[in-house]
Amino acid sequence: MTRGITRRNLIKSAALAGVATTVGSRFAFAAEPLGIALVVPSPIGDVGWGHALKAALDPVKAAYGDAVKITVLENIAEGPDADRIMNKTVADGNKFLIAGSFGYQNGAMQIARRNPDVSVLHASGYMVAPNFSPFAARYYQGTYLMGMAAAALSKTGKLGSVSAFAIPELITSINAFTLGAQAVNPAIEVSVVWVNSWFDPAKEQEAAKALIAQGCDVIFSNAQDTPSVISLCEEAGVYAFNLNSSMKSYAPKTYLGCVATDWSPYFKAQVDAHLTGKFKGASAFLGVADKVVQTVDWNPAIPAETMKKISDIEAKIAAGSFSPFTGPITKADGSQGVAAGATMDDAAIVAMDWHVKGVTSPLPK
Amino acid sequence: MSAALIWPKLVKRERPSLTITILAPLLALVAATLLNLLLYLIMGKDPVAVFHAMILEPFISFPSFSEVLLKTGPLLLIAEGLAIGYRAKVFNIGAEGQFIIGAIFASALPVWYPMATGQWIWPTMLVAGAIGGAMWAGITAFWRVRLRANEILVSLMLSLVAAQVLNYLLLGPWKDPNGFNFPQSVMFQYDAMVPLIIPGTRVNASLLIALALALVAYVFMQKSFTGYKLEVGGLAPRAAGYAGFSEGRAIWLSLLIGGFAAGLAGAAEVAGPIGQLQRSISTGYGYAAIIVAYFGGLHPIGILFSSVVMAAIYIGGDNALVSADLPIAAVRVFQGSLLLAYLMATTFVRYQLVFLRPVSGVAP
Repeated sequence: MTRGITRRNLIKSAALAGVATTVGSRFAFAAEPLGIALVVPSPIGDVGWGHALKAALDPVKAAYGDAVKITVLENIAEGPDADRIMNKTVADGNKFLIAGSFGYQNGAMQIARRNPDVSVLHASGYMVAPNFSPFAARYYQGTYLMGMAAAALSKTGKLGSVSAFAIPELITSINAFTLGAQAVNPAIEVSVVWVNSWFDPAKEQEAAKALIAQGCDVIFSNAQDTPSVISLCEEAGVYAFNLNSSMKSYAPKTYLGCVATDWSPYFKAQVDAHLTGKFKGASAFLGVADKVVQTVDWNPAIPAETMKKISDIEAKIAAGSFSPFTGPITKADGSQGVAAGATMDDAAIVAMDWHVKGVTSPLPK
Repeated sequence: MSAALIWPKLVKRERPSLTITILAPLLALVAATLLNLLLYLIMGKDPVAVFHAMILEPFISFPSFSEVLLKTGPLLLIAEGLAIGYRAKVFNIGAEGQFIIGAIFASALPVWYPMATGQWIWPTMLVAGAIGGAMWAGITAFWRVRLRANEILVSLMLSLVAAQVLNYLLLGPWKDPNGFNFPQSVMFQYDAMVPLIIPGTRVNASLLIALALALVAYVFMQKSFTGYKLEVGGLAPRAAGYAGFSEGRAIWLSLLIGGFAAGLAGAAEVAGPIGQLQRSISTGYGYAAIIVAYFGGLHPIGILFSSVVMAAIYIGGDNALVSADLPIAAVRVFQGSLLLAYLMATTFVRYQLVFLRPVSGVAP
């Protein structure tokens, strides 16, 4: 690969050679592998967002072997420390940075501007640069299907969601969940508790308890990195589902299913592009059709008739002939959200800052 | 009892040992370093790589060293302020909250007037932050003086309140209208940022302010009569009372100084490396500064060194995280073991180990 032996790198290597004699052979690579650094805000456990991102790098490693070197940095709080740590990964020679949280946006963008030879992927953001691509999942396609199942199983007609931050990505997930549920039972209501953290198991469980106490009998664990909500729901005997990776082992009986994400096709394609010098900054909004969003581990208690409807809709979503955000959709405040027959475009979906009718909790103002 | 059993005993020294006072932090640093390197070895990490990334790199690599300087600023500021109070035995544990309120006060200006220009903006923000921090600490002082409420609890609890005030502002009135509902303010305009002093780094003028205030703290604590009164009030409150030194005044002064410094640090952080008000404006500076203050022997010059050491531990830890595959928790273990080792070492300032032989007829 010629990318590794630019003039700048040669000068750098020469400068480092002096250090190398004292430190050992740590810098004396003949053919430098591509350094890929993944930074995520919460601890990488066996499940959840960080786990899904890390797992998606395994196929990249399998494909390239020693030609790539992957560094995973977990539990990095968003803020000035994250900026420094991302800077350090680049200073260490990593040329491919995956900034795995919205809050890394400003710092990661600065790195992209200063280092044109570094390619940056950024989760859930909206900024784009020639070497900076935001990526996000169309979770809403999966949560719509979960909503259908939830409405079929709910006895109280009340559903709940424990949600991390009131950003559009999570709002759309809740809205689609509500719309899917209303497609089965128009009278369904959804309550939301915002915990304002990506990782706070104690607070998440408190929120789930509060929702269950209000009569919610299916809980949507929206962007939690731990099985906090899922395991609590198993104990309480209410159905629950989550995003990113399956937590069925934490709730063998009441696990409704999982809106899983598999980022490996995307990561692999972007690493390919970087290595061939064809990386181009662009917003990636990937869903069922891209096989990034997948629904798995459906609960056998879901009636066969509902399950049939769900797979029909899923096939239509994959084929592009159905969108959960097709009008008429009424906003929670009673005004018109989407006109009858119209479908929201991606630009409107990624900026959604209102709840649909049926979501009873107000958005944090 | 067999004579082979000779247990060392702690015996109080006649006067505190100056040698140990100076040696204690160094011994603690060496002990903590060795202990942690051993830990990394047990964890299966390459101790050479860890040692290089953690201990050497913060000082030999300029980009790393500039980050050490950046991190030294707030630690130095807060710790100098806290130490003044601690010497007067006023235990302000709530610097974290005063830091947050300082950041909020400073942010008010760019949040309300995002289009304002002029080099007066950032100094005004720093002053506003310092006043905000002092006011927040003033609440603790009020309850302590008026109701004898324990200042440790009040100041600590107020930190949690401050975090909620921050949450409220970021989720509500101060949320960036174009920020996709994420809890953060607008990015500050150019004039709301403290000017950089070393090009190519993130080190800004607030470090110079911190150094200048460290000098002021030195003069105040070691040379001024007010500083002397404060310290006597802490060491011998009744004697201070007879001498006409008011305890209430000492508490007010201690907390206001601590809050002022922490608020200033908070303001410098949002107007410095962050550039906006967001949830994670502090990574525990207010608490780390307590370690810094004690590690520096509560002496203004000692704190100057201890703040650099603590900053280097942070930066070294981040380096080790990236380059030597060390988990972030290992950094916190290092900090904790450093304080522990220091507290153990300081025992020997006032006590010494004596190997007593149980000889009959001689009182121990």
